[in-house]
Amino acid sequence: MIATSIKWTRHNLFGKPFDVVLSLLVIPGLLWLVYSITDWAFASAKWDIVVQSLRVLMIGVFPADQAWRAWTASAIIGAILGAGFGCVFCFKPHHGLVLLLVPALLLIVDGGLTNALPATGIIASTILGWALTSYAPLSRKVLPAAAFTGFIVVVAVMAPPGVGLWGGLLLSVLLTLVTSVLSLPIGILLAFGRQSRLSSLRIISAWYIEVMRSVPLILVVYWIWILMPVLAPQWGLADVARGMIGFTIFYSVYVAEYVRSGLQAVPRAQIEAARSLGMSEFDINRSIVLPQALRVVVAPLVGNVLDIFNSAPLVFIIGLTDFLRAGQMILANPQYGDRTFEVLSFLLVTYFVIGSMITYAARKLEDHMATGTR
Amino acid sequence: MTIHETSAVRGMADHDHLKSRRLRNRIRHEAIQFGVIAIVVALLGLLAYAIKSGLAERGIRFSFSFLANTAGFDISEGWTLASGESFLPDLTLFSPDMTVASAFVTGIFNTAKVSILAIILSTVLGTMLGVGRLSTNWVVRNLCFWIVEFVRNTPLLIQLVFWYFAVVLRFPPMASAAHFYGLIVSQQGVYVPSLSWVGGDSMLSIALATLILVSVVGAIFDPVKGMRRICVAAAVVCFALLFVTGGAELNFPVANKFKASGGTSISPEMAALLLAIVVNSASFIAETVRGAIDALPKSQWEAAASLGLSRRYTVNDIVLPQVFRVVLPSFGNQYISLTKNTALGIAVGYPDLFNIYGTIANQTGHSLEGIIIVMASYLILSWIISTLVYLANRRLNPTGVPR
Repeated sequence: MIATSIKWTRHNLFGKPFDVVLSLLVIPGLLWLVYSITDWAFASAKWDIVVQSLRVLMIGVFPADQAWRAWTASAIIGAILGAGFGCVFCFKPHHGLVLLLVPALLLIVDGGLTNALPATGIIASTILGWALTSYAPLSRKVLPAAAFTGFIVVVAVMAPPGVGLWGGLLLSVLLTLVTSVLSLPIGILLAFGRQSRLSSLRIISAWYIEVMRSVPLILVVYWIWILMPVLAPQWGLADVARGMIGFTIFYSVYVAEYVRSGLQAVPRAQIEAARSLGMSEFDINRSIVLPQALRVVVAPLVGNVLDIFNSAPLVFIIGLTDFLRAGQMILANPQYGDRTFEVLSFLLVTYFVIGSMITYAARKLEDHMATGTR
Repeated sequence: MTIHETSAVRGMADHDHLKSRRLRNRIRHEAIQFGVIAIVVALLGLLAYAIKSGLAERGIRFSFSFLANTAGFDISEGWTLASGESFLPDLTLFSPDMTVASAFVTGIFNTAKVSILAIILSTVLGTMLGVGRLSTNWVVRNLCFWIVEFVRNTPLLIQLVFWYFAVVLRFPPMASAAHFYGLIVSQQGVYVPSLSWVGGDSMLSIALATLILVSVVGAIFDPVKGMRRICVAAAVVCFALLFVTGGAELNFPVANKFKASGGTSISPEMAALLLAIVVNSASFIAETVRGAIDALPKSQWEAAASLGLSRRYTVNDIVLPQVFRVVLPSFGNQYISLTKNTALGIAVGYPDLFNIYGTIANQTGHSLEGIIIVMASYLILSWIISTLVYLANRRLNPTGVPR
């Protein structure tokens, strides 16, 4: 055992003179960094601020007595996401145990049920959804309809206290979901438009895509935000809705580019074969080209969802209280002025965990989709 | 068997039929084409009309005349063009009595400043991270992997806020600032030594400066094969001569109690923005570089090994030159998105184009006109970058050279 580890060390850390120098430089620095971070995290950091303001971080300025609405909505979203997950990865009991660690940890740290109870509910419904589609493949057939109904229920449950009060991590998740769902059809239409035989349609789509790709998202969101009341004053759209429109307009262009790469990956012979069978252009695109194209781009599209989620904090520009704004709101309290590190590292770690899960899902999906073609 | 009709006539009929069908198809195609254009024009017209009437209701007129008004607000840093006595506009620091148009120019200048610095630094750091992910050293390999993974999976905006509030604003105050060979790192900003021109109008200094410029251009474009080395040597010699003759000197910053004077200063906002964007883009560039290295045929490594080249020479002389040919277009995309990301500077108060636009929109109320200017500026910046990358790509990958 010791001999193997010495051999491993010699081979992997001190193999060549240059590696020796690198190891001698990097390892002590890294050890010091790890030591100081651990020391800070377990000895001097005061994590009570994060636990105390967990509700604000999760749902923003949503009224506390209405919080059950937000927790119900989160549970429904969790179930939908879990069910979607279950279509690709089979649920295993140890997954459930890992997920249940979150409420358990909250229970230990918090010492009360205020945070642990909603967390248990959300995690439990996620596990239920995941297990349902994993063990009962028939339920996958009704998933789109169920997800759609679920969304409507979420909006209906969340709406009564006022759409303007949505916030926290829940807002980021809702924004990401709505944007990724809405931008898909628009992106597909744009991708077809860019490849159309009609030169006018092609030029218009290409210009739209080019312009949107070269301006920053923050500008588009802000622009839609100020433009909407001018365009349609009688609608009185809420900030959240305007933000979602801005995100959709921006990200449909990226979806279009991914879908276009998928369309180009479909062999031309497939289209010619379909044409020789006498299928109409619409039928060819709908039942021959699009299914094969989407299959190729599913993984990049999941990556795009991560991009949307990662740019969700930009809604601070239109005055919404998202996850980051909620954290900054807590820090604005002079009492907590010195807890910058605690709150910001909590935000970063939460984002990292969710982001890594999405990345992992994208990688798995890529393998899953590739198995059929190999 | 009798032939009742000549095949020629039938063929003629077929031909006519085909012709008329083609004509019909073409007319239909043109009609749809026309319809699409008509719909788009109508939509745009409707949009313009709705905006105009919406603005009229609020008593705002759509015009660009506000650009010539006096700005009346200050911008914390940045240069602008102002018409001076000479024919060419002068490069001066922005002041509140200048026009709104020059405020926009300041914004473009600040955006370009951060973008150019970030492009250079992130390319270097990203390549190092990408190569580091393939290091033979286990610690370095995994460290690079986790840095890239962490940065790619967290939002840039939170990274930026972290860099600003948790790192840059925690630098020591000026009185106890850290000094490294003329570099001062403090809460009030980072100060670096700068080159300053003290030659005045002396012929020798101007001639030397011109020579340096010419040789740098020669070294970049390399018009005659083998001239690059001579050009580089000439540039170095001229540079040294310029210093010796007193045409230029290094200006070291000197720390006082609350401020430092001399040298070039980087404001805390800019330092945070630069750090965030460089680290973020470097991770994406590292991923591109690693992907390209992975995609390189394994035989290249084996051939280099069989020639007895060390790993360093293999990476530097065999792998990276080929990788840079492949990754240049993706680098271009990354540079464009990096330039767009500088708009996040508003979160920490860096006066970039978007931030200044926000101030102008608040002050003058002309937010829609401003949007058009800002959009056009970003479009032009993107086009410049993609053109430069295209030119570099064409130089690196001459058409007809097999890969």
